Amino acid sequence: MELGVIIAGLLTLAIYSFLYRDNPVYRMAESLLIGLAMGYVLVIYWQTAFMDRIFTPLFSLGDFWVVIPLILGLLMFSRFTKKYSWLSRIPIALMIGAGAGVSMPAMLYARTLKQMSASVMPLINENGAFNIEALVVAVGLISTLAYFYFSREHKGLMGRTAKLGTYFLMIFFGATFGYTVMSRMSMLIGRIDFLLTDFLHVL
Amino acid sequence: MQTRVPLLICLVFGIIMFLQYFSAHPVARAIYQTVTNDWWQVIFAFTLIVGVAGYARITLKKLGQGRDVPYSLVALGGLVLMPVLALIGGTKINSPFMWAFENMLAPMQATVFSLLAFFVASASFRGFRARSIPATILLLTALIVLIGRLPLAEMISQYLPKATFWIKDYPSMAARRAILIGIGLGSMATALRVILGIERTYLKGE
Amino acid sequence: MITLKTRWLIFSGLFIIVTLSYILKISMVSQPSPQVEKSFDYLETLPESTIIMVSFDHEASALPEIQPISLALLRHAFKNNLRIVGLSLFAEGTAIGYRLLNKTAGELGKKYGQDYVFLGFKPQHIAAILGMGESIKDVFPEDYIGNRSDTIPLMMSVSNYDDIDIVISFADGDRTVYWIEYAGPRYGQQVMAGLTAAMITSYDPYLASGQLYSVVGGLRGAAEYENLLGKTGKGNRSMPAQTSAHLYVIALIIAGNIIYFRNRSRQGRG
Repeated sequence: MELGVIIAGLLTLAIYSFLYRDNPVYRMAESLLIGLAMGYVLVIYWQTAFMDRIFTPLFSLGDFWVVIPLILGLLMFSRFTKKYSWLSRIPIALMIGAGAGVSMPAMLYARTLKQMSASVMPLINENGAFNIEALVVAVGLISTLAYFYFSREHKGLMGRTAKLGTYFLMIFFGATFGYTVMSRMSMLIGRIDFLLTDFLHVL
Repeated sequence: MQTRVPLLICLVFGIIMFLQYFSAHPVARAIYQTVTNDWWQVIFAFTLIVGVAGYARITLKKLGQGRDVPYSLVALGGLVLMPVLALIGGTKINSPFMWAFENMLAPMQATVFSLLAFFVASASFRGFRARSIPATILLLTALIVLIGRLPLAEMISQYLPKATFWIKDYPSMAARRAILIGIGLGSMATALRVILGIERTYLKGE
Repeated sequence: MITLKTRWLIFSGLFIIVTLSYILKISMVSQPSPQVEKSFDYLETLPESTIIMVSFDHEASALPEIQPISLALLRHAFKNNLRIVGLSLFAEGTAIGYRLLNKTAGELGKKYGQDYVFLGFKPQHIAAILGMGESIKDVFPEDYIGNRSDTIPLMMSVSNYDDIDIVISFADGDRTVYWIEYAGPRYGQQVMAGLTAAMITSYDPYLASGQLYSVVGGLRGAAEYENLLGKTGKGNRSMPAQTSAHLYVIALIIAGNIIYFRNRSRQGRG
């Protein structure tokens, strides 16, 4: 058996020991996971952001404009000093501002207008049949939005509509729970497959 | 100045990046590409480095105080191991770096998430009660979906998978759509508040 | 009340049932769902040499679900002589994506650089998605293995999304949403998704509005796609274990409710 498979199997069992109770073996594995995850991401970001976007353009291609994002990025380290920590707000403000500006049209179109327009469906089909699904979607959408509208007290008609919205939300949560169980069981099946096939050679 | 300069930068870049969406002018395109391809990605990478440095600092402090010594050493060891392996053998397939990813990091991560299967089963027994009408609706929907997505469902009745898809595609979708619209409107409002400097939480936490 | 003993019984029961049903290798046929059929038909009807983009936007933890889905779709794409531009918007998906692409390409005799290319990872996914709408080579000046993008034969036919027929995003979270919201409206880029089952209901509004073309979801989706493709894989092999796990959870829910109502009626009488 390969060393890698042995180590993977032992670490898998170390994590699973948590099912018995929290214990030092599990905590060691958890600490190792955190360290390795951060180290991995550090290396990947170094390669893809620093090498590709700064060092190669600056030293190989002579593009000196990359000094600007380099300086902005270095300003982030000012967070570790008390006197100059405010300088780190500059690159953060740039990122947040740019992100907010770029997200507004996207949110407006994709999440709001497009979704609202998709909800407007004819209640009578071309062949004259009643489209129950269109009614369900319209009622579900309006009642759930009513539930989340907290600027008005949920009393009377508003209250009844909001209560109907609760039921639609429960249908959504129930469906999500069902699919989530499916997903979690799939992950367990994946690990059992590894343990039985690669680690223990039972299959 | 310590607050005004960042707020001004946020305002300027927020407006620029919002307006460039509506312009096909080469200058607008050039600004857009420079900000998205270069500046944004580089700054984002630096924020990650700062995060990792911050974690290393806290862990070293814990070590200095003699708290959780073995766990802190293991975590720092893992943090240092990956860059060292990358320096020794590169980061391509079959390198020591990828070996560590495939035989240590990936299996542990997968196992941590698979723990949820056990807790979901436990929660199903412990917490999933038909206490009220909403809870009963939730329960029944979950049961229909749990059965309906199995190959067994088609053997029991062809209407089970159809019911599952109908629930997913119409009433469940309607509720999710309402949530999405709410999030969309809220995100736009928050973005506007951030650009205009009304929302300043990102300036805190140094 | 659930005690520690009950908890261990539940955990052990789940482990035993799933392990046994995995060992027993019962055969189960999964009828294709409308979404999986739609995904299959789309790739099936694409002309040869069409370029598609495949993005591995998931963590290593999602591999048990994502790997069967991505293997099935990649095999289908390569079988139909489609050309693939691969990338990742998640750091962990990088190595996974490269390995999966190479594995399926090797099975079908495809050549790197001509039939497929893997561009690697770029941080800040929104910036990367938007940047590729103008120029993919500007966002990825080099591919994952260090070749200049403008020297790769496949990349010579690719400038931006105009040259990409569809983006297939394999995700275990909300990365696909960014493809839909940023690449879709601004650049008219069509998006298909391979998702973990837990994310399926979150994407239903995008499916219904047409912003997301189709979804292949979870191990069940992988099993259905494998059946359509005529090649059994992990999706189909996992169905018996999936079935028994679901039935176990259903039994727990029913048992929990029976105990609850019995205790409630006793308290009512008492």
